[in-house]
Amino acid sequence: MEQELRKEARKLLEEVNVDYIVGFARGSLKFSTTPLITKDKEEVASLVISPFMVNNLARFLIEMPGRVGIVAKGCDSRSVVSLIQDNQVIRDKVVIIGVPCSGLIDIAKVEKLANKDRDEFDDITLQGEETVVIIGGQKTKFPTKDVLFAHCLGCESPTPKEYDILLGKPRDAIGDEALSRREIKQLEDMVPEQRWGFWKEQLSHCIRCYACRQICPACFCERCFVEESQPRWISSVSQWQDNLMFQVIRNIHVAGRCTDCGECERACPMNIPLRSLSKKMSELVDETFRYTAGIDKNEPALMTAYEHVEAEDLIM
Amino acid sequence: MERKVEWEPRIVGFLCKWCSYAGADLAGTGRKKYPANVRILKVPCSGRVDPLLILKGLRLGFDGVMVSGCHPGDCHYQTGNYRVRRRLALTKKFLEYIGIPEERIKASWVSASEGAKFAQVVAAVVKDIEEVGPNKLFTEDGQ
Repeated sequence: MEQELRKEARKLLEEVNVDYIVGFARGSLKFSTTPLITKDKEEVASLVISPFMVNNLARFLIEMPGRVGIVAKGCDSRSVVSLIQDNQVIRDKVVIIGVPCSGLIDIAKVEKLANKDRDEFDDITLQGEETVVIIGGQKTKFPTKDVLFAHCLGCESPTPKEYDILLGKPRDAIGDEALSRREIKQLEDMVPEQRWGFWKEQLSHCIRCYACRQICPACFCERCFVEESQPRWISSVSQWQDNLMFQVIRNIHVAGRCTDCGECERACPMNIPLRSLSKKMSELVDETFRYTAGIDKNEPALMTAYEHVEAEDLIM
Repeated sequence: MERKVEWEPRIVGFLCKWCSYAGADLAGTGRKKYPANVRILKVPCSGRVDPLLILKGLRLGFDGVMVSGCHPGDCHYQTGNYRVRRRLALTKKFLEYIGIPEERIKASWVSASEGAKFAQVVAAVVKDIEEVGPNKLFTEDGQ
């Protein structure tokens, strides 16, 4: 599939008048990838497809000029569609190279299971329900469910629905919805005071680096409310009250755009379970308005649409 | 005469300029009595009410937040109240998940001719917020 991708990418640059290719290249660490943005026909040879291509590349489209060919997994493709709905991206200016996703391996989980550093692994291959890790010539098998990112277990469309070129065969998700929302379920079972205590504690660790915002393809405001100074909505000092307010507002602002790509949680240097916020918001959007983000590019975005009669129980 | 100091709810109310604010005015000129617990802020349209305003109200220690606009179909800008309705529906449910009782946020439609209704709405809001109790969410020790 990699060869096919490189061929297609080259063809796009040479023949189809695409200015840039956005994809993944091998990262500097073992079992990692890094985003690759290139207009060089030779450089496309370093494009890779692997279960470690964690980034949501749709993020780059917001800032990129010209016509862009983008490598997209299921969640990336949904984010692109969502950006099209919000008029942030013009459909004709992107060529979506769809890649059916196997699910993404969280290397930290493998390290923990094997109790070894990533440098000690020779190879990791995802084979359906099992993931084979080779350490010093020895094969060890782990259940795939235990090594995938939690958001991948809740994925409904690992194969992009919106694409121009689809590489390989469509895949089904290795789904486990219950496991994917385990933390949310635990929170739902608490009383409100306990939930408040939980988030107060978690967000007291936040250092307000804004990595979650910067990596999020749904956060595309040119000026974020946290940086406004007249009025200053929240203090720029990191204290739990304002950290909590930041996360709550951020999640409400991206409601109907979040595709549960899990990037906020992965990018967080303080390991705050941010996906327990964003995934819950997606669920609320679905149960309240029967809306799923990034499905249909011709459908109006959630917050721009309305019905004459809805959410009646809200009004006194 | 000794006066017992009891907790009184402090509520911030965002009223749309075209309907609810005029409705509140009418309640005044019609000499309708209602509790004085709501601090009213005029907004150009209920569609102006970002969840940020609601959270900021709670962060500043208000016990409740009230949003009121034109009835569906009556918005001066056609769709502002429909939009805020979607936003509020999600905001309330999401805040409940975070641990903020959703009863602290109240939404109503009051037209410019409904002075009496405005008085009733405020009385009902105050009663509900009294039941929820004082907002100590953002104070450091929860006291």
